[in-house]
Amino acid sequence: MIRDITIGQYYPVNSPIHRMDARVKLIITFLFIVTLFTVNTFLGYLFVVLCMAAVIKTSKVPLKFMLKGIKGIFIIIAFTAFINVFMTRGENILFEWGIFTVTTEGILIAIKMCIRLVLLVIGSSILTLTTTPIQLTDAIEYILRPFKKIGVPAHEIAMMMTIALRFIPTLLDETDKIMKAQQARGADFDSGNLLQRAKSLIPILVPLFISAFRRADELAMAMEARCYHGDENKTRMNVMVLKQSDYKAIVILVAYCIALIVLRFATTRYFII
Amino acid sequence: MEMIKADNLSYEYIKITETEKGTKQENILALNHVNLSIEQGSFVAVLGHNGSGKSTFAKHINALVRPTEGVLWVNGYDTKNEELIWDIRQSAGMVFQNPDNQLVATVVEEDIAFGPENMGVPSEEIRKRVDEALQSVGMLEYKEHSPSKLSGGQKQRIAIAGVLAMKPKCIVFDEPTAMLDPVGRKDVMETILRLNKQEGMTIILITHYMDEAVQAEKVFIIDDGNIVLEGTPKQVFPQVETLKSYGLDVPQVTETAYELKKMGIEISQDILTIEEMVGAICQLKSTI
Amino acid sequence: MSIKINHLKHVYNAGTIFEKTALYDINITIQTGEFIGLIGHTGSGKSTLIQHLNGTISPTEGEILLDDENIHKDKAKLREVRQRIGLAFQYPEHQLFEMTVYKDVAFGPSNMKLSEQEIDKRVREALQTVGLSESVYEKSPFELSGGQKRRVAIAGVLAMNPEVLILDEPTAGLDPKGRDEILYAIKKLHEKRGITIILVSHSMEDVAKLADRLIVMEKGRVAMTGTPKEVFARVEELEKIGLAAPQISYVLAELKQKGYDLPNDIYTVEEAVKALYTLLKGEEKL
Repeated sequence: MIRDITIGQYYPVNSPIHRMDARVKLIITFLFIVTLFTVNTFLGYLFVVLCMAAVIKTSKVPLKFMLKGIKGIFIIIAFTAFINVFMTRGENILFEWGIFTVTTEGILIAIKMCIRLVLLVIGSSILTLTTTPIQLTDAIEYILRPFKKIGVPAHEIAMMMTIALRFIPTLLDETDKIMKAQQARGADFDSGNLLQRAKSLIPILVPLFISAFRRADELAMAMEARCYHGDENKTRMNVMVLKQSDYKAIVILVAYCIALIVLRFATTRYFII
Repeated sequence: MEMIKADNLSYEYIKITETEKGTKQENILALNHVNLSIEQGSFVAVLGHNGSGKSTFAKHINALVRPTEGVLWVNGYDTKNEELIWDIRQSAGMVFQNPDNQLVATVVEEDIAFGPENMGVPSEEIRKRVDEALQSVGMLEYKEHSPSKLSGGQKQRIAIAGVLAMKPKCIVFDEPTAMLDPVGRKDVMETILRLNKQEGMTIILITHYMDEAVQAEKVFIIDDGNIVLEGTPKQVFPQVETLKSYGLDVPQVTETAYELKKMGIEISQDILTIEEMVGAICQLKSTI
Repeated sequence: MSIKINHLKHVYNAGTIFEKTALYDINITIQTGEFIGLIGHTGSGKSTLIQHLNGTISPTEGEILLDDENIHKDKAKLREVRQRIGLAFQYPEHQLFEMTVYKDVAFGPSNMKLSEQEIDKRVREALQTVGLSESVYEKSPFELSGGQKRRVAIAGVLAMNPEVLILDEPTAGLDPKGRDEILYAIKKLHEKRGITIILVSHSMEDVAKLADRLIVMEKGRVAMTGTPKEVFARVEELEKIGLAAPQISYVLAELKQKGYDLPNDIYTVEEAVKALYTLLKGEEKL
């Protein structure tokens, strides 16, 4: 049923990656994704994969969990591959059928795109698997803080994320319960055409919204009762301090970026692909 | 010293209802010139049916609602004074009915830290307070759990710990056990009693359960925004008919004593517990 | 109509690390017109059990026979089962969604594709049974008091004319007045329409007043079953599993222990008053 869906896929083990500062992890992941798009040779991808394998090994999270994310976006990967194979124009035409042409270039680009997507998903999975949602929201708040001057509500965004994470399981439970209750009154969610099905959602959505508003109302009051007044004069139980290991990670990241740049120039000069 | 003092406290609001003939406005007097005082360190129960005004009263203590007439002093602070609002909320904490809708964070210890963080307590001190508060409600081992995996009674104890970490002098409980099962109710009541007896915390308990109310030192009955009855449980509960007319229960033993008296048996009327009832019967039996 | 539960077992998330057995080998028979009190604290499996009866979840093992027919055998018939065995969930007022009380109660019968007149008849009957007057029919259910909302929600289940009505903690969170109104409506329903009632409750005082038979659940098993007299006589066992008998039955038990001659099956105030009067006056009160 609905309640089986797990949100926040944190994998609780103790590893150097888990202990790292969430802000550093967030920045590394961001840079990883950006630099991924500069890599365009198979040798480059091999290098990225090897680096990634080292990180996964250090994180102590079973590879199985890393790959889980790919299953979720399998359709997107397949679709990307399809588009690239058939829609890329090139010289080495392998075969033609109507508007579809398959070229060597197309196949190569498709393979590269798929590798990119897979690496991208695994890269972000490493972040979410080794960082608790609360660390992540704290990190986002911290990183966005300099942008407050230009009107980015950093604290509010982080607070909303925390509350959303806190209430997702509660609201999923509630949805499950309301569905069962309406089923008990003979509601039918599985048959009929699209319009009928959409209409059959009303008895679920209306109570769900009402309940969400009621909860929001009560929560707001409870937060006020506990002296909540935005982030003015607010302290933190967990202060984020960069440790030596975090500086090491930053050094490794810089080395990684340099290696990618070197690889890019070297390969474009000596290799075709 | 008085922890809470209400002087002619009234609260009036305008209720707008949509009818076929357009919108209708009516003034509702939720609290009607209430006068009461609650001593520091005491345990007080407030009873009344839904809509009697008892929840509105509770919210006044936390300055979530402010009087439209009269004054309410909490720990010596006038709740109408905007500048004192954080002092008031820190001195008088509040625990609500629904355990799910008052926990903010996804990790227990983070939730307990929420209050002190808002008050600007230094990090080291917060950490200490979180541990102390969790210890005090017997939930220290759940420090790193997610609240969504806990039972109702456990969640409610986390909510209490969250208030305790703010080091209040008084805690208002707004029907804290209404949504719990018997085991959860018992745990929460034991926690409340312990806070009062051992830590001298002033407790204001709003409840529908008479077995909880009989444990208080003083009981206030609110009906229609008025305090209609007040006194020790032994003074209040024997008034069986009056209580029933306000839509309230009495403990089974008290009701039994009341019925026996009506049938002409000279049994004392201030019986509130099983032991007292057994004792009274034995005494009567030995005098016959 | 009788319900027979044979060797019912239910496992949640079977085959994963979250696997949890909620029910082990449950065997219960419920006869037509019985008023059952189902007791047990959170996690005892009582909610899982009642959801099976209504067909909202299917057994891992075992079967549920409704008039000798397995209710989970034919998926197409589940809707009919749900109509015959009505289930009012905990806090049922959270499922209200229509603009008016009348329309909300009509949701069930309209799903059954009944005629307009039949729907109208059922809605009115159901609202009358729960003690709501015509003045609220056109009101929004969200304007009503907590106790009234709950009665509207229960009427919504009743309007399907079930032969069995299961109520999961119908009095949770209500004040004494709201609680008494609901219990009175349930009692009347059982007496007048003769439908089978299964009342799930934490409150021993409530079930003691109403039920003919109690089923006590503990850790996914049936721990005790019998009349209230039989079950409340086993106070120690009840306490071991975190439950208790009504307050007054403790008084009688203690007095008996002190050697007084009292009947041992008393659990309501009325009975206690009579028995104590007899004890003290040495004569029966007429």
